[in-house]
Amino acid sequence: MDKPTSTSDQGKLRFGRYVRMFIGIVIGVFLVWRLYDVLVVEHKFGADTWVRFGLSGLILGGMYALIAIGYTLVYGIMFMINFAHGEVMMLGAFGGFFVFEALRFIPAPTLADPKLNFLDAHPIFSVFLAFAVGISISATAGYFLEKIAYRPLRKAPRLILLITAIGASIFLQNLAMLLFGPQRKNVVNPDLLDRGAGWTITVSGNPVLISYTGVFSLVLSAVLMIGLYILVQRTKLGRAMRSVAQDKNTASLMGVDVDDVISKTFIISGSLAGAAGVMWGIHMGLVNHYTGFLPGIKAFTAAVMGGIGNIPGAMLGGMVLGIIEATGPAALGIDFQLKDVIAFSILVLVLILRPSGILGEKLSEEKL
Amino acid sequence: MRSSAVDNGLRTGVTFGIVIVTMFLIGFTVTGAGLIGKLFGASDSATPSLMFYSLFMILIGMWAGASASPRPLTEADTFKRALISGLVAGLVSGAIAAVIGFIFGDLSANKIDPRTYLPSVSPDSIKLFLFNQTPLMGSLTLLALMTVSAAVSAALSFFFRSNHWLKNKSGETSNAARGFFQSAGLNRVLQSQYASYVFWAITAVVLIILPRVWGSYWNYVFGTVGIYIILGLGLNIITGWAGQLVIGYVAFFAIGAYTFALLTAPEPHHLTVNFWVALALGVLVAGISGLLIGLPILNLRGDYLAIVTLGFAEIIRILLKSDLMTDYTAGPRGIRDIGGPTILGKPFVSDVDFMYVIIVAVLAVTFIAHRLRNSRTGKAWFAINLDETVARATGINAFGSKLLALSLSAAVAGLAGALFASRNQFTGPDDHALMVSINVICLVIVGGIGNIPGVFLGAFALKGLPEILRETESYRLLIFGVLLVIMMRLRPEGFLPARRPELEKHAAQTPSGKEA
Repeated sequence: MDKPTSTSDQGKLRFGRYVRMFIGIVIGVFLVWRLYDVLVVEHKFGADTWVRFGLSGLILGGMYALIAIGYTLVYGIMFMINFAHGEVMMLGAFGGFFVFEALRFIPAPTLADPKLNFLDAHPIFSVFLAFAVGISISATAGYFLEKIAYRPLRKAPRLILLITAIGASIFLQNLAMLLFGPQRKNVVNPDLLDRGAGWTITVSGNPVLISYTGVFSLVLSAVLMIGLYILVQRTKLGRAMRSVAQDKNTASLMGVDVDDVISKTFIISGSLAGAAGVMWGIHMGLVNHYTGFLPGIKAFTAAVMGGIGNIPGAMLGGMVLGIIEATGPAALGIDFQLKDVIAFSILVLVLILRPSGILGEKLSEEKL
Repeated sequence: MRSSAVDNGLRTGVTFGIVIVTMFLIGFTVTGAGLIGKLFGASDSATPSLMFYSLFMILIGMWAGASASPRPLTEADTFKRALISGLVAGLVSGAIAAVIGFIFGDLSANKIDPRTYLPSVSPDSIKLFLFNQTPLMGSLTLLALMTVSAAVSAALSFFFRSNHWLKNKSGETSNAARGFFQSAGLNRVLQSQYASYVFWAITAVVLIILPRVWGSYWNYVFGTVGIYIILGLGLNIITGWAGQLVIGYVAFFAIGAYTFALLTAPEPHHLTVNFWVALALGVLVAGISGLLIGLPILNLRGDYLAIVTLGFAEIIRILLKSDLMTDYTAGPRGIRDIGGPTILGKPFVSDVDFMYVIIVAVLAVTFIAHRLRNSRTGKAWFAINLDETVARATGINAFGSKLLALSLSAAVAGLAGALFASRNQFTGPDDHALMVSINVICLVIVGGIGNIPGVFLGAFALKGLPEILRETESYRLLIFGVLLVIMMRLRPEGFLPARRPELEKHAAQTPSGKEA
C-alpha cells in the first residue's frame, strides 16, 4: 500500500515509522513497569484468582473467536467491515432467550414433580432447540442483510459499503429495542445448566468454580471452530470460498458462482454469530438490544489482531483478546470499569503498530 | 408470462406484509395514524381516530400496489397484468397482517397481555390495528382494505406510467417548467449582482430578527441545529473532501467541550477563564488532539481508520465516565455551571444572545470551509479522495494533507463542543456517546457529502424535523438507519450533491473529442 514514490515521500514514511516505534516503546515500557509493579512488588492476587480470570477469559475468548470468524470471512471475500455483525449475534441471543421462555411455559408434569416444565424436563433438547432457532435467525438475518443492503453495492467504493453497514447496524439495534423494549432480560437456563453450578477444583488452597455453562460454551465453540475449519479447507464450498477470496474474476471464470458463494459466506458467518449469541445468553444471563455492540467491536478487534482475512488468526485473536480482557485489569492494577478501554486500546495499538495482525493478513492485491 | 405477474405481486406482498407487521409490533401504526391526523389538523395525535388509521393503511396498501405494478413498462405489460400484480400484492400483504392481527386480537380477547415480551404492543394498538372490531372481523377488514387499495393503486399507476399519458402530459409540463426556469429574463434577474445582495440582506435580517421572535423553545432547537451544522461542516472536511471516514468524530467534540468546561466551571478546578479565551483554547486543544491522533493512524487503509477513531472515541468516553478521572473531569456526574460568553464585561447569557453566538460561529465556519474548498489545499484533498496514488505522483503530500484535514476537522468539532457545553451550562460523558458521531455522519451523507449547503439541509432535516415531529422521537434512530441504507443504495451522493466531480468529468471529456 505504502509504495514510496519519491525520496521525500520515503522520508515521510520513515517519520511515520519512527512515530509508531516511539509509541510502541513507550507503551511497552509502561506495560512492563505495571506488570512488574502488580505481580512482583504488590503481589495482590493469588494463583486461584489468576486461574479464575484465565478461565473466564478463555470462555469469553471462545465467543469472541466465533464472532471474529464472521468478520474475517466477510472481510476476506467482500473487503468490507460488516459493522452489523454484532447485531446479527444479538438477534441470535434473542432467539435463544425466546425459546427458553416459550419452553418454560409448557408444562411437563411428572409424578415426582407436578410443577415441572418442559425446559427442566428436557434440558438437552431445549438447549439444542435454542441453538437451532438462534442460529437460523442469525443466518437468515445475515443472508437478507447481504441480499438487501450489500449486494446492490457490490461495485461501490468501500466507504459506501461501510456506511451501509453502519446504517444496518443502527437499524437492527433500534428495531430490537423497539420490539423487545430497552430493559435487560434475564435468561433463565434449564436447571442442568444453572449458572452457579459447576465443578470445583482447588488451587493453592482456595476453591475455584468451573461452571457448567462455561465448559459447555468453550467446548461448543471449539467444536464449531473445528467444523468451520474443515468446511473451509476440505469441502467444495470451502474451496469456492477461498478462490473467491483470492480473486473474484478468475473464480467466476473457473465456474464459481460468486453471488452464491458470498450468500453462503454470510449464512455461515451469521450462523457462527448466532451460536455465539445463544452462548452469550446462556453463560452471561442477560440479553438486550445492546448485547451485540461491544462483543461485535471486540470481535472485530480480535479479527484484526489475528490478521483480518485469516481464519486461524481470528480464532487465535479471539482467544488472546478474551484472556487479555479478563486478566488485563488485574494484571495492570487498574479499575475493572476500564476493561473495555483495554480492548479498545488493543484495537488502536494493533492497527497502529502492526495492522497486518499476529499471523499476518492474507490479502490479494485487489484489497489494498 | 402471467406467472411472472403473480410472482411479482407475491414478492412485493410478502415484503409489505412483513413491513406492516413490524410496524404494528413496534407500535408505529399508532404513531403513523397520529401523524396523518396531525397533517389534517387533528388536535390529539396521541390517540388517533379510526379514520386516520384507515387512511394510513390505505396509503401503505397503495404504496404496495404501486411498487407491484410493472416498471418500467414494456409492450407485454397489459392492464390486466398490472391489476393482477397489485391484487396479489395486496392480498398477500393483507393476509400476513390479518393473520398476525387475528393472533394478537385473540390473545387480547383472552386477557393475555403480550407486553411482557413485546412492550410496544399495547391493547389499544391491537384494538386500533383491528379497527375496533372483533379479531375475525377486524382481520378480514384489514385484508379487504389492503387488497382493494393495492389493486386500485396498481391500476392507477399503470395508467400514469403508460406511454400515452407520458407523451401527452408529462412532456409538456416538464418542458413548460423548464422553459420558465430557463427564460432569459429570470436568469438575468437571478444572476445579477443585486440579486445576491438582496438575498444576503434578507438572510441577515431574518437571522437577526428570528431569535428575538420565536421564543426559547425554538432557540433551543435551532441552537442544536446550528451546533450540528458546525459539526457537519467539520466532518465534511475530513470525510467529504479528503475522503477518510471518521466514525469517532465525537472524540474531538468531547475534547472541545471538556477543555472549555474545565476552564470555565467552578468545579473541579476553580478556573474561571474568560469565555473567548476558553473557546479559543478548546478549539486549539481539539485541533492538536486531532493532529496527535492522526499522526500514527493516517497511513492506514480507509476502513481501518474509521474503526481506530471509533476506538478512540469509546476510550475517551469510558475514561471520562470512570472513577479514575473523577478528580480531574468530575467523572460520571459531569461538569456543572459552565461559564457563558461576555462582551466587554457584559454577560451574554440569555438564549437569544447565545443564539447570535451560534449564528456567528456557523457563518464563520461556513466562510472558512468555503474558502478552504476553493483553495490549493482543498484541491489536494479532492485529489487524494479521487485517487491517492495518483495524487502522490503529482507531488501532493498526501499524509500531510490528510493530517491537516483531520486537525482542522477536530478543531471545528472542538468549537462545536465548547459552544454546546457553554449553552447547556453542563457537560457529562453521556453527551458524548457514539450516537453524536452517527448523527453527524448521517446528516453529512443525507444532505450531500462534500457539499456545504448539503450540510445545512442535512442538519435541518435530521435535527430540526424530529423536533417538529415529536411523535416520531423513539423511532428516530431506526429511521436514520433505514435512511442510511436507502441513501447509499439509491443516491449515495446525497440530496444536494457536490458539484465538483461533475465539472471535472466534463472538463476531462471535452478535450478528448468524444463530446463533439
